[in-house]
Amino acid sequence: MIRKILIANRGEIAVRIIRACREMSIATVAVYSEADREALHAKLADEAICIGEAPASESYLSMERIISAAVVSGADAVHPGFGFLSENSKFADLCRQCGITFIGPDAEVIEKLGNKQEARKTMIEAGVPVIPGTEEALEDWQEAFKAAKKVGYPLMIKAALGGGGKGMREVYDPAGFEEAFRTAQKEAVSGFGDGRMYLERLIQNPRHIEFQILADNYGNVVHLGERDCSIQRNHQKLIEEAPSMVLTEKMREKMGEAAVKAAKAAGYVNAGTIEFLLDKGNHFYFMEMNTRIQVEHPVTEWVTGVDLVKAQIKIAAGEKLEFAQKDIRIQGHAIECRINAENPEKGFKPSPGTVQDMYLPGGKGIRIDTAVYSGYTIPVWYDSMIAKLIVWGKGRKEAIRKMQSALGEVIIEGVDTNVDYQYEILHDQDYLDGNIDVEFIQRFSEMQDSAK
Amino acid sequence: MKLDNMFKKNQELVAESKDNEPKSEVPEGLLRKCNLCKKVILTEEVENGYYICPKCGGYYHVPAMQRIEMVADAGSFEEWDREMRPVNPMRYKGYLEKLKLQQEKTGLKEAVVTGKARIDGEEVVLGVCDGRFLMASMGENVGEKIARAVERATELKLPVIMFACSGGARMQEGIVSLMQMAKTSAALKRHSEAGLLYISVFTDPTTGGVTASFAMLGDIILAEPGALIGFAGPRVIEQTIRQKLPKGFQRSEFLLEHGFLDGIVERKEQKETLARILKLHKKQEMSGEALKKPAVKLIEKKKKRLEAWDRVLKSRKSDRPSGSDYIRALFTDFIEFHGDRYYGDDAAIVGGVARFHGMPVTVIAQEKGSNTKENILHNFGMPKPEGYRKALRLMKQAEKFGRPVICFVDTPGAFCGIEAEERGQGEAIARNIYEMSALKVPVLSVVVGEGGSGGALALATSDEVWILENAVYSILSPEGFSSILWKDSSKAKEAAKVMKMTAENLYKQQIVEQVFEEPEELTAENIDVVTDKMDAAMLAFFGKYGKLSAEELQEHRYQRFRQM
Repeated sequence: MIRKILIANRGEIAVRIIRACREMSIATVAVYSEADREALHAKLADEAICIGEAPASESYLSMERIISAAVVSGADAVHPGFGFLSENSKFADLCRQCGITFIGPDAEVIEKLGNKQEARKTMIEAGVPVIPGTEEALEDWQEAFKAAKKVGYPLMIKAALGGGGKGMREVYDPAGFEEAFRTAQKEAVSGFGDGRMYLERLIQNPRHIEFQILADNYGNVVHLGERDCSIQRNHQKLIEEAPSMVLTEKMREKMGEAAVKAAKAAGYVNAGTIEFLLDKGNHFYFMEMNTRIQVEHPVTEWVTGVDLVKAQIKIAAGEKLEFAQKDIRIQGHAIECRINAENPEKGFKPSPGTVQDMYLPGGKGIRIDTAVYSGYTIPVWYDSMIAKLIVWGKGRKEAIRKMQSALGEVIIEGVDTNVDYQYEILHDQDYLDGNIDVEFIQRFSEMQDSAK
Repeated sequence: MKLDNMFKKNQELVAESKDNEPKSEVPEGLLRKCNLCKKVILTEEVENGYYICPKCGGYYHVPAMQRIEMVADAGSFEEWDREMRPVNPMRYKGYLEKLKLQQEKTGLKEAVVTGKARIDGEEVVLGVCDGRFLMASMGENVGEKIARAVERATELKLPVIMFACSGGARMQEGIVSLMQMAKTSAALKRHSEAGLLYISVFTDPTTGGVTASFAMLGDIILAEPGALIGFAGPRVIEQTIRQKLPKGFQRSEFLLEHGFLDGIVERKEQKETLARILKLHKKQEMSGEALKKPAVKLIEKKKKRLEAWDRVLKSRKSDRPSGSDYIRALFTDFIEFHGDRYYGDDAAIVGGVARFHGMPVTVIAQEKGSNTKENILHNFGMPKPEGYRKALRLMKQAEKFGRPVICFVDTPGAFCGIEAEERGQGEAIARNIYEMSALKVPVLSVVVGEGGSGGALALATSDEVWILENAVYSILSPEGFSSILWKDSSKAKEAAKVMKMTAENLYKQQIVEQVFEEPEELTAENIDVVTDKMDAAMLAFFGKYGKLSAEELQEHRYQRFRQM
């Protein structure tokens, strides 16, 4: 049984977890950095412990300090939230060694799924489709050319040690292969001193579709449908919705089954997310599995009626899942917009500072998860997300109307935010038509720029 | 809005959970506190990582066996003289019991572990002090083990590496402990006389009789960063002089600055550094490859005649390659050694060991630096006495290990100042000329920029002296010359001509043996135009002088200057 939980996080997710604990009559311990003395999570929790200086490395990333805080406060479980230590297998292992329940999967599972090659291998063995590519590194172009035939075009040439687009080339047909391979390899050798290359099928303009799963300690794994997170800027999600308007019931069933298979293959326990790419031909490919609660979990909560954070705690406490797959029904449509303290006019530069005044919308079908209040100073040290605005409607159209209306009501004074930018996306014709994929924001930004 | 104590809390829940049965706890040894930065750290991270604090990067003391694992090839260590009969020369009460307790606590028999090992394949005799054992103080058995190990190394013709750390001589064994300083030092002297290499590595803390004996006697002395190294301990000094000691006093960096260390080496780089030094000291014949190469024609018809003064200006140009550019261009595997072992480390002279076509050589260069900041650091290439003494120390070492010496001369002159005179600038230059004249190994000097008087000659009493086309070498600067002889320093231009200080003049006067043609504007970018030819000429030089005996070399050098 879990009586007291230490929340090893900050911001709105820490508040979200504290609220779940309050409802479940579990005592809470917040940890905070010196920059977060006035933070809502520190005020709301039953106890609060300062664990160090402002830089995350000295506080929210300091395993030793968080473990010490948990032991000193007598917490019997730690909820890691997302980010920070949430996917750190060593931290999970340390908690276990100290007799503290880590609310998440086992250290070994985190480790396995955190390793790209290892995760990919697990999925191939479980029969979950992955993006076709080469398993072994290639150095000779002719050998690579042969391998390319198997991978299929268009494809991506990637350096084994690559990063930041260096040593990467897109190839659309066999004619362009040799030159692309040579130049990418040359870049890799000069950039990383390593000429080993991989090939991967290039999935053009895919959607980002992810499946939420819950797994208990007794082998029960249930999926809670999908989230469409295609609206992203530089791999940072901006808007998420559930369900995805392109998935047919049959497709949902197929992908959901794959997600369940993936979780089972990994020996997964607790809440997790399997990310897929979905191409125009309705083929889906496993990308990675996130071994934590996600920012966008509220949209799933709303269309399924399941409280995911409570479910996490119950699973960690050793309880059985309270429902089976057949009990899960997707109802209505939910959308989440991330409100960030940043300036879209200045290249989305973070805009920390004091929130002078704030008015947030409410009413039926509107949920706000935030840790910001009037007079609160957003520290420069952490990420810029300050609130999540989530709406629910009977269908996508109603949800969009509700989000448009809600965004139009938001007032945050003192710092720059992306509220207007979100508002414009919510009025974009392609968005309204559901004509979205991971390249949407790039097109949208280009259009905005040309309109100026 | 202030939110303090605004929200309703679950007070009763907190109380209830406090007297809950199974408490979480940190298992023994999982966490520890860094005694340097006081932060809590994971023990595992410390032990995997060279005993370095993962938070502050501070160094912890390393037990002897772990130290051996850190530097020796896996499984290569063979321990010597592990069992020594405990002694108690003063019959000091409780001493034997204390030794026994220490043995149980540490698993060691004494405060030093000695034996034979390989480092990157190179066989060495290794001695490592363990500070957990009575502060690694040196009593009879410690001294005996070290002396025996050094003696065996002499017998086996092996280099010795000692990792020192010690509180000094062991008080409980009285005067016998003091004698260990003499015993170990004497053994090392014989080892050195046999032409063998000894590398000493200071670790934190090393004081007293150990600093004042074997630890300070290395041919090459290294230290870990931040290690306390001294004769008297800082507390004793503070109590004696009744003053607070400055920060960093008696730390490795302080000793490096004061000329007592060749270098400070991070723990993670120690194995590699030691292996490199060992390999650079392997006996090797001077390369005879030279004879196969055709001699290079070095003086060619000049395209354009330059005035002497123009060449003086060229020799001083700030973008002209500096001493270390030549080291980079001509040698590989250069490792710099610091300090004169008396007073300081002079950055106006850079020196160390490198390879020339695979052959170990000692390289010494006067260094001006290539921008204002570097100019200041290197004192504009004007060496102080400690610079010349460092150069001489490196040359004597080259002689011991049979390595040729190559000097690059580029100085406006020896530094002119009060402290230089206080420390004997004249003596230092004289000593270099005196000792260089009789070095038993080939010595080559190349004037690459300014050859400023005695400050240059102190690195140019050599078998041959070469010069670059636009370098100069003279008794004094033309400015100084005109001011002394003509009482008018503005006639420097004229003086430059009269002084016959250009390469061409010097060649005609047989002051230099070879002149190297320069491109229009010589810089670090096109240095290979010069160094490619120099490389071939150096091969020829070693082909010729490498064959001569010590006596022949000395005689040749004697006659070279005797005839001037």
